[in-house]
Amino acid sequence: MSHGHSDPVQHPEVQMSSVRGYLSGFLISVLLMLAATYMSATHAFPPFGLLMVITVCAAIATIAQTYFLLHIDTAEHNIWNTVSLVLFIPLFVLTIGLTWWMFSQLYLHTMPAMTGMH
Amino acid sequence: MSAHGNAVDPKKAVLWDTEYHGHDVISTRSLGFFLYLLSDGMIFATLFAAYGVLSYSHNYFGGPTPSQFVHPWYTFTQTVSLFLSVLAYGMGMAAMKNRNRGGLISGLLGALVLGVVFLALDVHDMAVLAGQGITVATSAGASAFIVLTQVHAAHIFFGLIWILVMIAQVSSRGFTTDTVGRLLSLRMFWHLQAIIWVFVYVFVYLWGYMS
Repeated sequence: MSHGHSDPVQHPEVQMSSVRGYLSGFLISVLLMLAATYMSATHAFPPFGLLMVITVCAAIATIAQTYFLLHIDTAEHNIWNTVSLVLFIPLFVLTIGLTWWMFSQLYLHTMPAMTGMH
Repeated sequence: MSAHGNAVDPKKAVLWDTEYHGHDVISTRSLGFFLYLLSDGMIFATLFAAYGVLSYSHNYFGGPTPSQFVHPWYTFTQTVSLFLSVLAYGMGMAAMKNRNRGGLISGLLGALVLGVVFLALDVHDMAVLAGQGITVATSAGASAFIVLTQVHAAHIFFGLIWILVMIAQVSSRGFTTDTVGRLLSLRMFWHLQAIIWVFVYVFVYLWGYMS
């Protein structure tokens, strides 16, 4: 683990900053958000199709930002950031997914008159 | 981590590492802060879950829904200002690689100004909603919408204060282990706000607008 420097600016987490990486992350996410906004504002697809398309836009933008901005990769000096993020993702997805699933079932079985929700 | 040639015999081994490799203060702190940020991510998970279950049409009790009060192009300008702020911060950090203190402070100032623009647009948006009578008291759906978006805005507010503090500390102390370590933590914090904003923007604003 020792990197033999006393100058903090030489630390790998400082040195991994990259102008090209940050520009790439910025351009990819802005263009995807532009596309998602345009399609939503013009109702370019039927609702379910639109939801799928903007979900894909969000997924790619998130992955690009995680890679280019948070520097999450398999480099050894920050491998534990990557490991903890990978372990975090199922917790995040399960918290949202299970809660949403429980309540959608609840509404389905307790509010038969309320049709056309969402 | 250890690259010793011989296999370790657990019955005889006294210590795993026989030599002191030095304590990497910056890496230790930034991993700790990253774990804190992931737990902050769980706060957003609960708020997204709440919004998910409170955004059915019956949750608005016949009142206004996001399809009536969200303006996609207005919120897109917020998106651009936040992403530009994150980019400016990144540019400042890239300048620090070459010990360029002026470049770093310019990047921090750019991030600060663009973050203030983001927050001002958000506050104006909320003021317009309040003017139309849409508040947390209007309906469960409106409440979930406002709380989720404003918790994100609160993160931006505290991030801006932190940026101000770092401008002052770097100006007065230069590049020390403490200031450089804090700038790295703030980079993670600030860049994570852009990632969370993608979820807030797409699944709360845009999806709310179209449903």
